[in-house]
Amino acid sequence: MLTADKLRTTYLGPKSAMANSAIAAAERTEVNAAARAAARSLLFFRRLRGFVSRDFALAISYRMDFFMRMLQTVIIVTALFFISYVFRGRVQGAPRQWDDPFAAWITGFALMSYFGCGFSSLANAIRSEQLQGTLENVLMSPIRVPTVIIASTAWEFLQASFFAFFYLFLAWCFFGVQYKGNLLLALIVIVLTAMVLQCVGILSASFTLVFKRGDPFGALLATGSFLFSGVLFPTQSLGRTFSIISCALPTTYGLDGVRRVLIEGQGWGQLRGTLTTLVLFLIALLPFALVLFDGALRRAKREGSLVQY
Amino acid sequence: MSATAIANDLTAFEVADLTGAQAEPASISVSNVAKTYPISFQRVRQAIQRKCLHPVEALSGVSFEVRQGEIFGLIGPNGAGKTTLTKIIATMVQPTSGTVSVHGYDSVFDEEQVRLHVGLASAEERSFYWRISVRQNLMFFARLYGMSDTEALRRISDLVELFNMGDYEHRRFGELSTGNKQRMSVMRALIADPPVLLLDEPTRSLDPVAAATMRSVIRALVEQDRPVSILLTSHNLSEVEELCSRVAILSGGQIRDVDTPKNLKAVETPTERVHITMRGLLPAEVELLLPHLDDLKLTIEGSEIIISFTRMERDDQLDLVLGRLHDNGATILALDFERTTLLDVIQGYQDNREGQDCGVSRC
Repeated sequence: MLTADKLRTTYLGPKSAMANSAIAAAERTEVNAAARAAARSLLFFRRLRGFVSRDFALAISYRMDFFMRMLQTVIIVTALFFISYVFRGRVQGAPRQWDDPFAAWITGFALMSYFGCGFSSLANAIRSEQLQGTLENVLMSPIRVPTVIIASTAWEFLQASFFAFFYLFLAWCFFGVQYKGNLLLALIVIVLTAMVLQCVGILSASFTLVFKRGDPFGALLATGSFLFSGVLFPTQSLGRTFSIISCALPTTYGLDGVRRVLIEGQGWGQLRGTLTTLVLFLIALLPFALVLFDGALRRAKREGSLVQY
Repeated sequence: MSATAIANDLTAFEVADLTGAQAEPASISVSNVAKTYPISFQRVRQAIQRKCLHPVEALSGVSFEVRQGEIFGLIGPNGAGKTTLTKIIATMVQPTSGTVSVHGYDSVFDEEQVRLHVGLASAEERSFYWRISVRQNLMFFARLYGMSDTEALRRISDLVELFNMGDYEHRRFGELSTGNKQRMSVMRALIADPPVLLLDEPTRSLDPVAAATMRSVIRALVEQDRPVSILLTSHNLSEVEELCSRVAILSGGQIRDVDTPKNLKAVETPTERVHITMRGLLPAEVELLLPHLDDLKLTIEGSEIIISFTRMERDDQLDLVLGRLHDNGATILALDFERTTLLDVIQGYQDNREGQDCGVSRC
């Protein structure tokens, strides 16, 4: 398509009326396109803010829940610290990140709460809207599927980020765990892994939309990840059969990547393989998950079961 | 012009215009819509349960149009398909066949545009967040429509004033009475100022005064500069008669008739029952004077006689009867008319349907 600038440079001589109108039309189209893009992004952020403010308001209506979770985190970190004394120096044949099991567990627990959010937050959000009877009214608004997916899980991710940080902070502040490496790189690995897990979360949500309960994706992957992706023990100690399962789980790469950055202090070059694997997971899962979610939504509308739970 | 300024200037409908929408008169067009609810995994269920399962046919061949600025009523017995039809228009349920368009946008292919133009107020209480306040609930839905905070707050404050909800604005939704929850539903439907409103029993839980206020709000919506088109579903037939310019009767998933309330009643039974209360004559004398009347019935109450008979609307029977009674020394004390109501019309269609169903064999 000819842009206004291109048209101006094409007509170097005296401009004809036709040229002028073509330029004006092109300018209008560009302004409209720019305005449309800007308006769309702003609408997205307004909607995102709407969801986050609503979820925040709902969360603070249950004040005790938040403090109990904080207390629970403190207890878990303290318990892990003392248990780690039993295993310190006994983990053999494992990478350096397991030299101090406490540091490995802390990163494992911190990230699992974050990753678990990816698995289940969208399905939980949809289930909760179904139970409250608000799902139809939310979907009655002119909101698109990707916005629903991102916005309805945003608060859960914010909360999980807070608790993940809280785990790491407690371990650093009170139990002497030292983090090294590039924090930005660690953050990229976390975000990338969370995006991959969000795809699994979208599959779970699709199942919830149609079948309401009994979602196999979230349940199997959450349990599988906890057991086989190196949260509690190094994946190297799993043996050949189970290490195949371990290799198929995106959380294995996410956890390993974050530990290699934060505990071992590795950099961009050493993490290229992990990042590539996570990107490949994302490319394979995202389109499939989005198509399936859209299909599930249409099926629920065909069956008239959006409001059912 | 900055992006914020652009977005602040945009109402939901201007966004639609930016995305290339064509301006069309506000109306709903329902054309030959059918809806059959499928049985999920029918074959598997049949194999396990060994039962003869049939999909439920909720609507069949439904067609009508709601004109711009019109209040269109949808009435019918329970299970007639009113809610299904409303949900199809609101894009929440997909029709099996046929098309629904709102402002020229197809409810299946242009869902987002349809949702921009439609506000739905259902009678369902369980459609808000009970633990947050009235204002927070409305603010959330306003943001879903892409409204800026300033615009949303202004709109919420207007609606709170219009529906007299000032005392409850900061209360949790769960603390509201059933009637106020009902008002909230209409407030939410109006939050983005849509040109098409779907109202499902808007006065169901309201007290008589609040119901009257709601009716005047509904009337005002179609009388404003940019009139709203309203599809009103209700079991309150006097309300439908009072508000709607046209009414569709839905029964057994089919539209039985669409017309003005007056014409609908006339088509069903263009007769009325007349009750004359009089004194000064004996019952036998009355019977002798009025031998030609249909369904003549005399009721004696002390010294008064109530004469009841059926006549065609606006015929000369009444004049004849009153003349004969007066000429023979009777004193007329009262005159009452019992006209056909929409209820009679619905009952008529329902009786017809039940009659037809008797002849249909089932699996």
